[in-house]
Amino acid sequence: MRHLVIVVLCLLSFQIKAQELFVMTEPASNMPTGSIGVRDMSHFALKKTDGYNYHNMPELMWGASKNWMIHASAFLSNKQGDLKFEGASLYAKYRFFSVDDLHSHFRLAAYGRISTNNSSIIQEDIETMGMNSGYEIGIVATKLINKTALSASVSYERALNNQDYAFPDTFSNSAMNYTFSIGQLMYPKKYTNFKQTNINGMLEFLGQRLNQNGKSYLDVVPSVQFIINSQARIDLAYRHQIYSDMERTSANGILLKLEYTFFNVTN
Amino acid sequence: MKRDNIKKLLVVFVMLFSIVNSYSQISKAEIIATGLTCSMCSNAISKQLKTMPEVEKVIIDLNANTFMVSLKKNNAITPQVLRASIEKAGFFVGSMVLTMDVDDTQVKDDTSFKNASGTYVFVDAKEKTTNGTLRLKVLNSGFVTKKEYKQSVKMLSKYLASGTQEETYFVKTI
Repeated sequence: MRHLVIVVLCLLSFQIKAQELFVMTEPASNMPTGSIGVRDMSHFALKKTDGYNYHNMPELMWGASKNWMIHASAFLSNKQGDLKFEGASLYAKYRFFSVDDLHSHFRLAAYGRISTNNSSIIQEDIETMGMNSGYEIGIVATKLINKTALSASVSYERALNNQDYAFPDTFSNSAMNYTFSIGQLMYPKKYTNFKQTNINGMLEFLGQRLNQNGKSYLDVVPSVQFIINSQARIDLAYRHQIYSDMERTSANGILLKLEYTFFNVTN
Repeated sequence: MKRDNIKKLLVVFVMLFSIVNSYSQISKAEIIATGLTCSMCSNAISKQLKTMPEVEKVIIDLNANTFMVSLKKNNAITPQVLRASIEKAGFFVGSMVLTMDVDDTQVKDDTSFKNASGTYVFVDAKEKTTNGTLRLKVLNSGFVTKKEYKQSVKMLSKYLASGTQEETYFVKTI
């Protein structure tokens, strides 16, 4: 499986065309100043036995300045029966380095997230986006060359006690995350106007290593993205576990993400 | 002390005079933005530019990331403001060519002229008198790619005496 992934990755990287509006990770670039984005993610987390848990994450995003952007998210799921509000998070990203050329750029950004959650903790993997109360701080580097985007991030994630559930003593409460994303614009080959639907293909790798016990996982997420009218986004992705030696409630899942950007709202 | 005041008054007077006397203004700006390849990014820049009241219309070449910005009559927009607008959208200026309508302007190397939008220093220019339209490429840092600026910084250094203050632009006629 790992070899297959490397082969696919190499193949993809040869067809130079792409984008950096990744599905699973945030690039180092920010959204335009004064614009507001609304996003809703549906996550069908496939259970090991059968069936799935449904997670919903509405998100509000704001380009506060050319270098700062802020997200606020809410987490809902039907883990305990009905769809229930489980938590929320605040995320901020600061772009501190940019080298831009005609059809390329290299950018660096630092980001942080704080989250609260009130679901039970039965999984060893730490996820402040919808599973754990806690925080995450990280750094992301994004390179765009023509229409291929490459992005990598490293972050430290720390889980705290969830509202009604203490974090289990037997689990590692902190982790390092590693991501690598590649995206490419597949259509159009040549732009004629803003109305054209853009299609991006993406492949992302998400890895985590628990600091206290060294357990880790690596997931791969292939996705396809449609950008409509240069303003709306539809992402369809499949998350697949390549390997893991930690206890996870669900590793594989299907994601559907919808996003709409309102430009120049707070200018 | 008195002398300083007189100097200040003189400066103010000269500035006022030059502004009152400026018929010339930027009528068009051709901007190439850097760091983007997607139509969503171009859309963001276009919408950002259109928020400025001075902007009449924006025509975009999506494949070349070029924005043809037509400006309203008697505007006092500066190249710096146009640049800030591109940067607000999250990108940078790779090239900016200004179209200006001028009356009897003497184009001469290392001389300058002034209008409501700033002071312009001619760089590497052949001597001529223009009555009509000037097309000027801005050579300042932040108005060309970093690579291009590095290459021209030595050449520009001999013009620096003409002023390094804000709103002074080194321009090449094209």
